Amino acid sequence: MHNKNISSVLKSVSKPGRYIGGEFNSVIKNKEEVGVRFAFCFPDTYEIGMSNLGVRILYDVLNKDKDVWCERVYAPWTDMKEKMEEYSIPLSAVESGDSLDKFDLVAFSLQYEMCYTTTLAMLKLAGFPIWAKDRAEDCPIIIGGGPCVYNSEPVAEFFDLINIGEGEEVLLEICHLYKQMKEDGSYTRSAFLRAASHIEGVYIPSLYEVAYNEDGTLKEYKPLFDDVPAKIKKRIVADMDKAPYPEKLVMPYIETVHDRIVLEIYRGCIRGCRFCQAGMVYRPIREKSVETLCKQAKCLYDNTGYDEISLISLSISDYSSLPELTDSLLEWTDASHVSLSLPSLRIDSFSEELMKKVSSVRTGGITFAPEAGTQRLRDVINKNVCEEDLMRSVGIAFRGGKSNVKLYFMNGLPTETDEDIIGISDLAKKVVGQYFALPKPERPKGLGVTVSVSCFVPKPFTPFQWEKQDTFDELIRKQELLKSAITDRRIKYAYHDAKVSFIEAVLARGDRRLAPAIAYLADKGQMFDAWDEYFNYDLWIEAFEKCGIDPAFYTSRGFGLDEVLPWDIIDIGVTKSFLRRERDKAYEGKTTPSCAEHCSGCGANKLGGNNRWCK
Amino acid sequence: MVQVNTSKLFLRFRFKKQGSLQYISHLDLVRTMHKVIVRAKLPLWYTEGFNPKPKMIFAAPLSIGTESECEFMDIRMNEYIDPAEAMARINANMTSEMQIYEAYYPESKFTDLKWMSYRITVSSLGDPDQLAQRCNSLFASDTIEVPKKNSEQTVNIRPLIKSACATRAGKNIVIDTILSADPSAFLNPEYVIKALRDKCGMLTSPDLTAEHYEILRLNAYFGDMTEFR
Repeated sequence: MHNKNISSVLKSVSKPGRYIGGEFNSVIKNKEEVGVRFAFCFPDTYEIGMSNLGVRILYDVLNKDKDVWCERVYAPWTDMKEKMEEYSIPLSAVESGDSLDKFDLVAFSLQYEMCYTTTLAMLKLAGFPIWAKDRAEDCPIIIGGGPCVYNSEPVAEFFDLINIGEGEEVLLEICHLYKQMKEDGSYTRSAFLRAASHIEGVYIPSLYEVAYNEDGTLKEYKPLFDDVPAKIKKRIVADMDKAPYPEKLVMPYIETVHDRIVLEIYRGCIRGCRFCQAGMVYRPIREKSVETLCKQAKCLYDNTGYDEISLISLSISDYSSLPELTDSLLEWTDASHVSLSLPSLRIDSFSEELMKKVSSVRTGGITFAPEAGTQRLRDVINKNVCEEDLMRSVGIAFRGGKSNVKLYFMNGLPTETDEDIIGISDLAKKVVGQYFALPKPERPKGLGVTVSVSCFVPKPFTPFQWEKQDTFDELIRKQELLKSAITDRRIKYAYHDAKVSFIEAVLARGDRRLAPAIAYLADKGQMFDAWDEYFNYDLWIEAFEKCGIDPAFYTSRGFGLDEVLPWDIIDIGVTKSFLRRERDKAYEGKTTPSCAEHCSGCGANKLGGNNRWCK
Repeated sequence: MVQVNTSKLFLRFRFKKQGSLQYISHLDLVRTMHKVIVRAKLPLWYTEGFNPKPKMIFAAPLSIGTESECEFMDIRMNEYIDPAEAMARINANMTSEMQIYEAYYPESKFTDLKWMSYRITVSSLGDPDQLAQRCNSLFASDTIEVPKKNSEQTVNIRPLIKSACATRAGKNIVIDTILSADPSAFLNPEYVIKALRDKCGMLTSPDLTAEHYEILRLNAYFGDMTEFR
């Protein structure tokens, strides 16, 4: 709801629908009647932010509280940013159109490291100092959360408060503390942050002193006061059947990335792939019941009118009641012209029956993720799928009319040799062979096999957290090697920019000494690093040089097994000793069974959570 | 009870699209309406085939930056529904900036719609009386050549303007005009804005906040200038 003064500006920018708000199901409250005004900022475009499930859930949770009004804020595209700077238009929330200085709490959802510069750009557009220490008493409290904060250190000093883990409960606790301290007059910025540090799952970066060894490695994190926790324990929602889930969704007018109903089936993962951060930090696994899911799906359909329901979780076919769930949903979805989609299928559990259920309406492509080209390397990463699984699955897909198969792999995994790289090409050839093994009338028209290869980034809180990342030159060499090995013209080869993966690794594994470099980029006006057209590798390297940072210290150096890691201050439940055991097994080429088969004692059970596997 | 003399049961809605919704494109409007009518639980007719969709037809797409009190959409129903009931259900599923105010089973086709009226309000630098006069002398000429979109060529838009009259309203200039809406010769009111820029020197300031304009679509007419319905 913007005033007329900026109508000319809106007429001059691309996709003005990003900035108008006023969507059906968006929440409008009387700002005089709420105790806490909460701005939920997404450091990317409206189309991407509107698709994020976490934001959808937390927007609903916060607005269900009558004392809180949560509004949404997105990053303006660069054309709009220029106009905002030229005409002194401050960043504002889409619901009220109010600038961010009118808010009490301003939270950012950090979904990927490449959004850090956009986050700082938004703080600048809001007129806030980017460093927490420079903020005045009346400045809103700036909060960070989302998957990146499992190692928030590179950006920790830009935030007053960081929420570690799932936000459904803790954000409300923060709001209530804020409101109470404002009402009883005890609120000062520092008193509030000190009190908030006592809430489980809250990390106040300014309350810790960081010391380094002479060789540049971390020495220790020391809380400044005795009452501040030495380690911050991740928060989880214990019972997913009782956890709040939106009954309505804000309906965007413009097309967004995931413009459909997204039904979260469970949290966590039973697998334990050794490269996967999500598989560790979202433990323990917590499923929703079929009854809960059916109720949520029907309710969301009635309130949105979407014609697609996407069933999501880290590995959908691991849901223990998937056949019952899909059957129950199909009882009404087909008749209502609603289709089901399952975006995360494992090769070893893909079946003809499942494919028929989800593709009754659509044909086209299907994606599988073998991740590595040889069985040896797949065992090292604990992917626990084999070539026969893949061949069986693509066979089913081809017979079912899917002519486009996309295969995801990673490049630069620990212990990887050239043989593993060539193995990717061999596997793709066998997939083509599987197509031609079908009798001609059964083959779907227009075969296409895409091999998509990303570069391995050793992520915090994985068994590979200590590993070296391949050097930039080595990653390029491997990409070229695979390129020359793929000669079949029916196989398309796509690979990630190794420069992006390198910067991503620095940011994912960095410590507080990186902050000045990120601030340097923000001062240069840099944002949207997650977008190819705005990623500026040279500027990152320039920033590292200016700030005396050797990026290789965080990437190709690797971390010593006894080294203090930047993320050691966070307790995700899964223990460091479990990660270490898994790392050792990786080097022995030994796999670990899933939680469904056998408990491996990862430690996440101590967080609680209702599920059938954890003891 | 309305007697509808057709096997295809189309229900027509006349609606407004105002305020910030002027920034929503026609394509996005179509996508939005699709979900609105599903939420409204109308007895929709669906297309046959692998990907069944409801049947919606819109008259005279509106371009971004234009508000309207006069948008039309026809939706094919599977069975008879009381127009007032359908209208109420749809309105409950839209925000105040987009609301239906008339619903009926039509006898006309959208191809019968020949003219549409607009009100253009311009806030421009300069003396409003003089500017209004300048506009009126432009409208009085036989030809108004403006450059075509993404092209070097020009087009004479004057034959597509049935009438146009500029008056002063406070600091603003208000132009009431009727433009061709014939599908084969549709005139987008943005072309009139282009003419004001090129021929009258209005809206040329590089400062976007110094001058601005608003366009509001008001009504629709048959070829004989009776109100379209």
